[in-house]
Amino acid sequence: MTALMRGELIKAATTRTWLAYTALGVVLAAATVIIGSLTTDVVRVSDKQGVISGWPVVLLLFGLVGAAGEYRHRTAAPAALVAGRDRGVLLLARMGAYALAGLAVATLMTAVSLALGLPLLSGEPGPGLGVGDVVAVAGGSLVAAALSATMGVAVGALLRNQVAGVVGALILAFVVTPLLTTISETAQEYTPIGAAVVLAGALDGEALSWFAAALLLAAWTVALVVVAIVAERRRDLA
Amino acid sequence: MKTNRMSARAAAIAVEGLTKRFGEVAAVEDLSFTVRPGAVTGFLGPNGAGKTTALKAIVGLSRPTAGRALINGTPVEALAPDSRMLGVYIEACGAHPGRSARDHLRSLAALAGLPRRRVEEMLALVGLEHAARRRVGTYSMGMRQRLGLASALLGDPVILVLDEPLNGLDPQGIRWLRTLLRERAASGKTVLLSSHVLMEVAQAVDDVVVIHHGRLRHQGSIEDLERLGDVGVFASTPTRERLAMAAVRAGGRVELQDGGVRLLIEGIDAAQIGELAHAERIVLHELAPRSGSLEDVFFDLTDDKVAA
Repeated sequence: MTALMRGELIKAATTRTWLAYTALGVVLAAATVIIGSLTTDVVRVSDKQGVISGWPVVLLLFGLVGAAGEYRHRTAAPAALVAGRDRGVLLLARMGAYALAGLAVATLMTAVSLALGLPLLSGEPGPGLGVGDVVAVAGGSLVAAALSATMGVAVGALLRNQVAGVVGALILAFVVTPLLTTISETAQEYTPIGAAVVLAGALDGEALSWFAAALLLAAWTVALVVVAIVAERRRDLA
Repeated sequence: MKTNRMSARAAAIAVEGLTKRFGEVAAVEDLSFTVRPGAVTGFLGPNGAGKTTALKAIVGLSRPTAGRALINGTPVEALAPDSRMLGVYIEACGAHPGRSARDHLRSLAALAGLPRRRVEEMLALVGLEHAARRRVGTYSMGMRQRLGLASALLGDPVILVLDEPLNGLDPQGIRWLRTLLRERAASGKTVLLSSHVLMEVAQAVDDVVVIHHGRLRHQGSIEDLERLGDVGVFASTPTRERLAMAAVRAGGRVELQDGGVRLLIEGIDAAQIGELAHAERIVLHELAPRSGSLEDVFFDLTDDKVAA
């Protein structure tokens, strides 16, 4: 399993995809801090946590594009032919590799958020952020990033199509999930993306605590991982 | 249809009743053949014959609708992938255009648990060491073929399966690959390579498997295939009528050729005609088997009228 993860990490690190997603993540992290602290009233602790929150959707897309690209560029087949384990285990190793890579990207994004956000937020009115508040957002962002990257690989392996995957994920994140508030104020928190956003501090969870959001996101991730592995074992690779 | 099969247990690759359907379309239907160890076997058929589809099922990348493939006597689906046992380069195996050849092979070596030195050895073997840092997207087709070969050879496999490996190679590359494949067979290893051009691989293969419309048309040695081209015997004699009558009595069919100068005798071979002439005290000036080209034989085997 270690060898498989090493091989998958080499793949993830040797194209420019990770660079593109790191750049996107850092820009979004910086923009969230700057726009959030300069243009809105940041009074409550949850408002301030929102300013330094993470962007798990970026890591979801990172995993999705990487995994679906394995089929587009036909690199899944040669990997499966040499891996020494069945395709399900190989896919699990790919998920592990992207979780690690996603964690690395999210660490940089979080560092940028904190480096820019904490000085800017210190001048804002209302109660300041305590160490526990900051740790909750940073830790939540990292956990959400790793789980989102894993989910992304699962979805990418299921769809095997980068464009459909990215378009679908963006519609889900920015259209469907917010629309759920018309049904119920808290309905969106129970979706995979909603739970990830609560965990990363971008949405003040009304129904879900930080811990509950983490558990729910983990449950969504495990469910998608199981479905993806079962499908990968059954489907033709070419 | 000519077949020459060995037992599935003794074969390096045994294909048994393999069928692969895509909806209503049968790309491969009830295909059975064997590939012996220590030989290069050509897997031949025109474009769209079902070669790549069959190869994908044989190496375990796709699940057959019916039938099975055995590698060294074990069903392929029961085998753990092992780059030391089976090396594969078929259409489905690619390299990311944004990744360098070295990184591509490095990732495969890591996945296979092979030492890093194999990467450099394979780059040198296929002549890509100077382009190893370039992104694969900038490669020519021939260079991609070489990279595919390098990935298939990474584990120095006992069985090598290659899909149209000569496509895109220059004449030097074709000669180099033929030599490499012959050397592998000479050392007891197994090679199965597909091609849609028989003449391209005729010099490299020991055995041939010909398919058309997903069905087996012929299996045997390359010599068998060449013999299929021997259709009829040309005979010249000052006493044409006597020889013709003797040949007909012996069960042959006789045609006058070249304005009546020569006889073309079919249905009996040159040795029989020679003995017949000797017994009848007929003087022969020429006795020569008429050889069709390998290409003609291949076209005959994959002729739709014949295959239907």
